[in-house]
Amino acid sequence: MAEIFDRLVIRLLLAAFVCVMIYLYRYAHVIFYPSVKRQVLKKINPAENPADTLHLFARLVGISIIFSSITFNESSGFFLSLFHFAVWGTIAIILYLLSLYIIESIVFYNFDYTDEILKRKNMSYAFISFCHAIVTAYLTRTVMMEAENSLIILLVLWLYMLVIVGFSVKYYTFISRLTFNRLLIQKNLSLCFSYGGFILGAGFIIASCFDQEHYDITVYCIQVLLKTILSLIIFPLFKKGLVRIFPIRMGEDRPMEGQIDTEMQSLGYGFYEGCLFISGAILTTMIVNRIQFGTIYPFF
Amino acid sequence: MYKVFLYTILIISYLGLAKALSPSEHGVQYLQNARSFSKIIKGSPSTAILIDTHATGFLIKTYYQKYRVISGYDNVEELIVRTSKEFAKKNMKHIGLSLYRKLDTTEEFIPLPPGSMYLGNREYGEWKTNKAGLTIWKFNKVFKNFPKYLGWGKFSPDMEFFQQMRSKASLNQAFYGLNNEFGPQGKITKKSFPHFFREERMKKVDMKTLLIEYFKENF
Repeated sequence: MAEIFDRLVIRLLLAAFVCVMIYLYRYAHVIFYPSVKRQVLKKINPAENPADTLHLFARLVGISIIFSSITFNESSGFFLSLFHFAVWGTIAIILYLLSLYIIESIVFYNFDYTDEILKRKNMSYAFISFCHAIVTAYLTRTVMMEAENSLIILLVLWLYMLVIVGFSVKYYTFISRLTFNRLLIQKNLSLCFSYGGFILGAGFIIASCFDQEHYDITVYCIQVLLKTILSLIIFPLFKKGLVRIFPIRMGEDRPMEGQIDTEMQSLGYGFYEGCLFISGAILTTMIVNRIQFGTIYPFF
Repeated sequence: MYKVFLYTILIISYLGLAKALSPSEHGVQYLQNARSFSKIIKGSPSTAILIDTHATGFLIKTYYQKYRVISGYDNVEELIVRTSKEFAKKNMKHIGLSLYRKLDTTEEFIPLPPGSMYLGNREYGEWKTNKAGLTIWKFNKVFKNFPKYLGWGKFSPDMEFFQQMRSKASLNQAFYGLNNEFGPQGKITKKSFPHFFREERMKKVDMKTLLIEYFKENF
């Protein structure tokens, strides 16, 4: 009974420690978004600006995803495991926020956070930012797990992951009919669902490319690149195939912007494209990672 | 058109990178035909016995062959090579035979029973007449392990075997032994190199049996 109670106490203490780390994260967030200092450091009013709430709490979800990859090893000592969590948690926070900053700088190069979220309350921007936060967190988590507590490997893989993500976000303009910048200015929700589906799908694919055994970092990086290229080959096939299987009819009055009917059609198209991207990406990961070809050795 | 071009570039770069990294490209040598043996098997004397063959792939097959290579006086190793379709198909009926022999600078490529290179060569052994009056080949003591390496078992080649072999070789024809002891139908080959003849590799499964086995295993 005493042992069980002790374990429960350890869990409670660790939960409190994780809360402390998230509290620290709240301040770290201000470094990258100094304009939100007043909002973040005081009580948050979600009703005042839902876009800002989504933008901020997306990061909280993200950091929780990353923290879930760090393990406590109580057998090596309680304080040592706390220290381990503090070190890797801090590294995770820094890498995560840096990744988000870089990716958002690439995607939103024409937009400003203060204008779009604080002044215009652009929900489309906030939702895209939410998707970025989730995907970046998931990828950082994957990279941290692959690094297996090696800081050098973590840095190499993190940079590599950023390069791949950076290229993949540019791929959106090739495969979507929606114009990113124009529709984002218009706060168009169809864009955020379409792009959200795309970036989540890309996240699935990239994470699956990184998820493999590694003994040599160079060979591992080349294998990741190979899988990424293979995914780029397979994904368009699924996208084309799904479009053929589920053909859609675009409305005749599509050019007449401002009408409710047109907006509904536009929103539907956003859902349609987003779902196509996610399902295509998941199916691509299956083709890339789940086919076992075997070797000659069982026969010889 | 631009997208097609990009897609083609992607496929080409994938194939190029994958080929450079493929383990089969690194570890397994390519044997295009019998003439290429000398590039893979160095040293003399040496003989290569085909002991297994296998094809992988669905639409585009890759063919592999496994050889037992006996070189020098006491060096036996197994060699796996990737080979051309023509060479693999042509030699399907030559399992258990020696496909390559090299003695000094002379190379032979006619499929003959293993050890044919040594028969009649006084450096390796001599003909002896046994109690039954048959003249059979006996390896010198230095080469006492050769019958085991060559997969002969209890088989001892006699003079008739030797003469028939020479006669077939002069006609550029494969020789399987006086009573077809060697080759895919040969008893000696089946006993010495049983891997190729394993039951599960030999049996041809029809779709019905395959489905029944699948449901038994999985449900």
